[in-house]
Amino acid sequence: MNELIGALPILLHAFVTTLELTFLAALTSLVVGIIAAAMRVSPVPPLRWAVSVYVRFVRNTPLTIVFFITVFGLPQVGINFSFFAFALLALTLYTGTFVAETLRAGIQAIPIGQIEAARATGLTFIQVLRYVVLPQALRSVVPPLASVFIALFKNTSIASAFGVAEAIGTMTNMVNVHSTIVLWVMGATAIIYIAFALLFGRAFAWLERKALIVR
Amino acid sequence: MPDSLIVLDKVNKWFGGLHALRDINLSVKAGEVVVVAGPSGSGKSTMCRTINRLETIDNGTIFVNGEPLPAEGRELAKLRSEVAMVFQQFNLFSHLNILDNVALGPMKVRRQPKAEAHQQARDLLVRVGIGDQAEKYPAQLSGGQQQRAAIARALAMRPKAILFDEPTSALDPEMVNEVLEVMTQLARDGMTMLVVTHEMGFARRVAHRVVFMDTGQIVEEAPPEAFFTNPQTERARDFLGKILK
Amino acid sequence: MTGADSHLFDAPGPRAVRRTIIGSGVAAVFAVALIVYVLMELSAKGQLSAAKWSPFLKYDLIKFLLHGLAYTAGAAVVSLGLALVLGIALGVGRLTRTAIIRMPCVAIVELGRGLPVLLSMLFLFLAFPLAFHIDLPAFWTVVLALVLYNGAVIAEIVRAGVLTLPKGQREAAFAIGLTGTQTMRLVLLPQALRIMLPSLISQLVVLIKDSALGFIVGYQELTAQAQSAALLFNNPLQTYVVVGVVYILVNSVLSEASTYLGERQKRTLSQKVVTAGDAVTIESR
Repeated sequence: MNELIGALPILLHAFVTTLELTFLAALTSLVVGIIAAAMRVSPVPPLRWAVSVYVRFVRNTPLTIVFFITVFGLPQVGINFSFFAFALLALTLYTGTFVAETLRAGIQAIPIGQIEAARATGLTFIQVLRYVVLPQALRSVVPPLASVFIALFKNTSIASAFGVAEAIGTMTNMVNVHSTIVLWVMGATAIIYIAFALLFGRAFAWLERKALIVR
Repeated sequence: MPDSLIVLDKVNKWFGGLHALRDINLSVKAGEVVVVAGPSGSGKSTMCRTINRLETIDNGTIFVNGEPLPAEGRELAKLRSEVAMVFQQFNLFSHLNILDNVALGPMKVRRQPKAEAHQQARDLLVRVGIGDQAEKYPAQLSGGQQQRAAIARALAMRPKAILFDEPTSALDPEMVNEVLEVMTQLARDGMTMLVVTHEMGFARRVAHRVVFMDTGQIVEEAPPEAFFTNPQTERARDFLGKILK
Repeated sequence: MTGADSHLFDAPGPRAVRRTIIGSGVAAVFAVALIVYVLMELSAKGQLSAAKWSPFLKYDLIKFLLHGLAYTAGAAVVSLGLALVLGIALGVGRLTRTAIIRMPCVAIVELGRGLPVLLSMLFLFLAFPLAFHIDLPAFWTVVLALVLYNGAVIAEIVRAGVLTLPKGQREAAFAIGLTGTQTMRLVLLPQALRIMLPSLISQLVVLIKDSALGFIVGYQELTAQAQSAALLFNNPLQTYVVVGVVYILVNSVLSEASTYLGERQKRTLSQKVVTAGDAVTIESR
């Protein structure tokens, strides 16, 4: 029991790393996703093709393989990051495709007439996106984006296999050292994960309600 | 025709194998109100949409103000602010309130300062009779009010002409008149208008000229009295027989 | 897939076309330069050498990796079947009015959706033997963890599917005297399942990707085999690129199938609505 009490603070500290990785990757993949979605619907065919290839390739690859290729590939071309940065990069590449596809679906759901009205007023493509399309698309995609980001939160656990001491990595180390408290440590980890997943779910539901009221 | 604001010269357009516009020749003078009538699928909406390049044409030329229609860029944006458009489905931006709907174009295309654009928008909303709805969102307004807001949005660009693409077709019958009244007032004020519509009463009272289209062609062109009392072609007689019962 | 959403922008004018061509040309030059740089770096590090790539032409290695692919497919397909059963049970359970059935279903769904699959796997791998004194075979470690998560996801799909059915279906079933259970089993579920087919196929893609975590608990699926092979031939980058391409090929086919079925379904559904609408008009005339 004492071992568990000693273990808890370390575990909680590891969750800070998990949350850091989650929030940073959410931010970067949101940026990547918005840019990719804008390119995907742009008037320039090569931009559309480039994103189409990126999305098709990365979306259909297991995140584990994306990690492996990042970790083994980039050092070969002279890019050496910390494990944390590699994990951030792999998670961003992977999650960015889901953000892009979610946004594209949101963009396609906007009535064509409103976009024509915007064009008929003389707004440029970027202005149509900026003032008419994205404000509406971002609101309607809150629920699907919530699923994407909660999946991201859980996917950060894969970084444990690549040297990042986040929650799962720390948990596995602890379990290996103190074999007497395996069940307790794993149970505690599971409970914290579920608590955060529920919390994020609530937060996004609140955000969705807020977006709806504005409309 | 040097005094013509809008000229279509031998305009053709195909949708795949469908010849949607066939050798369209049309000119609209400044201050003129032209009603375009015809059965659905006759190409009248398509023609209307080509004039501010929502649809491209395959050959022929469109002139606005004596200049050929620009293809892109700042020139196209300028043209579009000069030739505004009102749609069948109103197409107000649903995330913006009515005031912002009207002020968006002037602020972002004409680069007007916000205060000025908002003041102008308020004045225009009063002019179309919905000055008290400025802070509401489109979904909170009736169809007739939305269409009047859309007309205010078109006017906010200070256009030389306004294209109306079946402005009353999506409205409940009791709301048609409030929109037609605003349009009639605009015509009285001297606005150049090209109106695609089935409202033959409006055509009779307000239009200077009626253009009748069928299967992508202009079949007949006449002052309203002549068109309604003495149509020259079989197709126009047939159409009028169906629509005026 | 690469088509334009052309209502978003104007048909390009001559200047836009010229700019697009020039811009694309410049971008292509940069892209080629980047690729050449990467290839040169890789070649300087010996990553393009025959020694690193030729193993993939050997029958033994191909067989070794195919074994992994078969294990991946096995885990994914078995998991899909079991997750479907669990998902239907949980989904229907969440829709019942009896709290004593509904609450546990809600709890299991939240558990399945909130836990990382990797954590469930490690739980089955490390804690399960301690608690029950049985070692779970690697196959079942992977499958059960996948079933918990995907069962929860499918439960939500089932629930959404049933809830989107027209209200008249349930009312009509009650009107001819079916009980609540019969209504669910004979009327609502069959329709919901048909609507779900495309989602189930895309769920298979998720399963195939998540089964790659099997390498952590010693299940010999494609990624685990790749790891072993990479150690043996000392060519991790090459191996993971090759295996990645295999995943992309398999999953692309499945994704396309799911999209195709979804679109066909949308068409037939809207056709049905149209026919129904016509029938009503004919009657009312």
